[in-house]
Amino acid sequence: MDPSRMRGVRAQQTGSAGRRTNSGAGRVLVAVYGIFALAATARAGVQLITRFEEAPLAYVLSAVAGLIYIVATITLARGTRASRRLALIAIIIELIGVVTVGTLSVIDQEAFPRATVWSVYGIGYGFVPLVLPILGLAWLWHTRPHAPQPVEGRG
Amino acid sequence: MIDALAYTVVALAGVGVLWGIVTAIANKPPGKAQLLYAAGLEAVTVVQSILAAVKIIGGFRPVELATTIGYLIGIAILIPIAWLWANVERNRFSGIVLAVAALAVLAMTLRLLVLWTPAG
Repeated sequence: MDPSRMRGVRAQQTGSAGRRTNSGAGRVLVAVYGIFALAATARAGVQLITRFEEAPLAYVLSAVAGLIYIVATITLARGTRASRRLALIAIIIELIGVVTVGTLSVIDQEAFPRATVWSVYGIGYGFVPLVLPILGLAWLWHTRPHAPQPVEGRG
Repeated sequence: MIDALAYTVVALAGVGVLWGIVTAIANKPPGKAQLLYAAGLEAVTVVQSILAAVKIIGGFRPVELATTIGYLIGIAILIPIAWLWANVERNRFSGIVLAVAALAVLAMTLRLLVLWTPAG
């Protein structure tokens, strides 16, 4: 058993705060989010500067995706209680975004003539953009804080 | 970009990915040799980015100039950031962090090979 897992077990036994989002496997998640923050933001920057008029909607969405990845990376890397909440919001938006843009780009290709990081569920990035928010939500659930006292009359 | 150098980066990065996975499976943090290897990969990657920059300054114009420059900078900064991030908390996941960065360098270098065609 690795030390971080033992910490997690102890936390569960004592009912104290859960594991931090930036520890253990969370470090890998932050690394992947960081790469996507870099990739999506840089891509959006190039698109917006060099050919914004070609597909304004797609490129603005690229920029939004980049921003969401940046927020998720920073909040997961900080791993505080407050940052967990922001991370949850960012990752939920990310999931909605990749599913919506992915579906629209399949149904109505004219609406998304230019590739974004979320086009066809992130096919250009090995579908990692589709898997990443699911892993993010699973990780937030896995590391959720435990209430110090169990609430009376529940479960 | 020099094709032979790019394929060298791809091969070195591929080994780096596997090495990271192996140490993670063995439940060990990256050892000294692995960290030196990552530094070596970084050195070759930086040399390639510098050579490509020299060619661009010398007048070579790839089709997607801005994207190409972004990739050349990107591949040069990934390994150092991953190195620092992997060393803050040293355990099996440090190897995976290095593997993820090496995989990104590998994928981006392959993409650069495609991008590196003259405009016009």
